Amino acid sequence: MNYDASLWLTFILIGLATLLPRASFIVLGQRASLPEAVQKALRYAPAAALAAIVVPDVVLVNGAPELFNPKLGAAIAAVLAVTLSRNPWLPFVAGMAVLWGLR
Amino acid sequence: MSPSFKAGAREGFRVCLPVSVGLVPWALVTGLAMVSAGFTPVQAMGMSFIVFGATAQLGTLPLIAIGAPWWLILATALVVNLRFLIFSAALAGPLAGGTLLQRWLCGYLLTDGVFATCLERLRSDADPVWRLGYYLAPSLWCALVWQSSTLTGVLAAGAIPRGWSLEFMASIALLVLLVPMARVRPMLVAMLTGGVLSVLLRGLPLRLGVMAAIVAGIAAGFATEHLQKKAEAR
Repeated sequence: MNYDASLWLTFILIGLATLLPRASFIVLGQRASLPEAVQKALRYAPAAALAAIVVPDVVLVNGAPELFNPKLGAAIAAVLAVTLSRNPWLPFVAGMAVLWGLR
Repeated sequence: MSPSFKAGAREGFRVCLPVSVGLVPWALVTGLAMVSAGFTPVQAMGMSFIVFGATAQLGTLPLIAIGAPWWLILATALVVNLRFLIFSAALAGPLAGGTLLQRWLCGYLLTDGVFATCLERLRSDADPVWRLGYYLAPSLWCALVWQSSTLTGVLAAGAIPRGWSLEFMASIALLVLLVPMARVRPMLVAMLTGGVLSVLLRGLPLRLGVMAAIVAGIAAGFATEHLQKKAEAR
């Protein structure tokens, strides 16, 4: 497949659509602010967002939920590793080992 | 560089090291995906530096490949990036001490992993210089890990067997972040709501289901905090 110069324009558009939301409030700083209640609610943004990204990744197989799948087994192993040990590498080792083992 | 910036940088680097490990397979996969969409290595790395966002890159690749109109590509990229508005608003106060150029850099480097890992300390530490170091050092490190791993994926395209499923390490990294948060009740509610709704609403177009799930998760966490306070007051 071949692309012409417009591909770089497309990259710049996608780049702006990524940079502007990221930079918005950080760059505007004191000139723009969100109400206190919104600020408080924002503390839940990381937990909600990361769960919204990771849960489908773990329970969906080819777009449909499947409770007994190797990825869910691997996720449980990783969560147990974080809970029971302080070793930062163990969740990765345990998770990938279970993933490969169950396949 | 002031000692307090350096101290923040060291601490930020230390807490974000596990997150950066999780980026490696994800970046490899993004590199492979761009090459398999037909980009040359120069085009692939160009996109990687201009956009620097896996969700926006992976979400728009199929549209570019089928020659979709520019406005659809733009809209798709905006929607998957809406979450950054929320993250940016949360970081505006903690990073207000930086120069304009530094704040643009902070914006460009904003990633889910560093945000989730560093937000709590960024909101509580009183020294603006320490906070800047605590945010910028791990962000720059993650960008370095991301770009070098993407380059590896671009150059190795075709040589890594897909059966290895190394991209699952990114999911493990997210789980590692979530477990300590789940110890606080309202956080757990936010998480469960976001996770379950994201699965239930997966059929919505343009990944809007993920956005809806995030907003509902935040609302659920906030409401739980409110109810807890009411119960304590009694």
